[in-house]
Amino acid sequence: MRSQLQTAASSASELHVLARRSELGVARKYAEDVAAAFGLDADSRYEFVYAVNEAVTNAIRHGASDEEDMIHMSIVADSDRLTFAVRDRGTFVMPEVDGIEVAEGGRGLALMASLVDEVELHIDPGGTTVRLSKVRSSGLGTAQAQAG
Amino acid sequence: MRTFYIGDDVQVEDAGPDVAVLVVGGEVDYEVSPQLKAHMMRALKAGRRRLILDLTDVTFIDSTAIGVLAGVVEKLDETGGGSLSVVCTHEKVMQIFEITGLDSVISVHPSREDALAALAPAG
Repeated sequence: MRSQLQTAASSASELHVLARRSELGVARKYAEDVAAAFGLDADSRYEFVYAVNEAVTNAIRHGASDEEDMIHMSIVADSDRLTFAVRDRGTFVMPEVDGIEVAEGGRGLALMASLVDEVELHIDPGGTTVRLSKVRSSGLGTAQAQAG
Repeated sequence: MRTFYIGDDVQVEDAGPDVAVLVVGGEVDYEVSPQLKAHMMRALKAGRRRLILDLTDVTFIDSTAIGVLAGVVEKLDETGGGSLSVVCTHEKVMQIFEITGLDSVISVHPSREDALAALAPAG
């Protein structure tokens, strides 16, 4: 389920999907579409979508008790910054594949940190929220947004 | 919508009985990585010690798949040695290898022919 809210200063959208691996492609498409509309260049879009995929993978793996749980995503576009948030009901744990050694896991957070400008983890008793921000590098887009 | 494929293993007559060429394409995410792992473990169990993973058509590889490849390297090291080579030219996929340090434990080649030519001798 996807919804949108727009104000003069920023626009926001939400996506809610079932906590299933098969929904990862849907999450990437959502991030790609919003990032393209926002005006991120191709490299920045790839990096933003990649980080989003890592955050949602982690939410599906560790933030859901079964595949009927929902994963809640949102993206807020400000004048120069796109901020993705995913909230789940679990405790943040590094992504890894089932039943294999430490060598195979623990790269998700490092990748997110490498590919976006800011990563924020908010952990509370009710769950975990991961926020990822990517700044738009071109001044042109910012000028257009302010003019519009 | 299916966004990936795992191809049948390619037989390379001249390369030796311990060589396997595995082919994967598309977007390799957490939906795919367990299948990739199973596929690679089958090759190891069949006695293949020099593995070439052809990622020519891969446009996206997530951390769980990177973990599978690191796990295969570790498994080879623990069980008598071998090698994992990857065929890849996608700039962003190679950037992920670099960030995760995977490029320090595998060799990356621009074509399957180059990967085969560079294989370490058996044993």
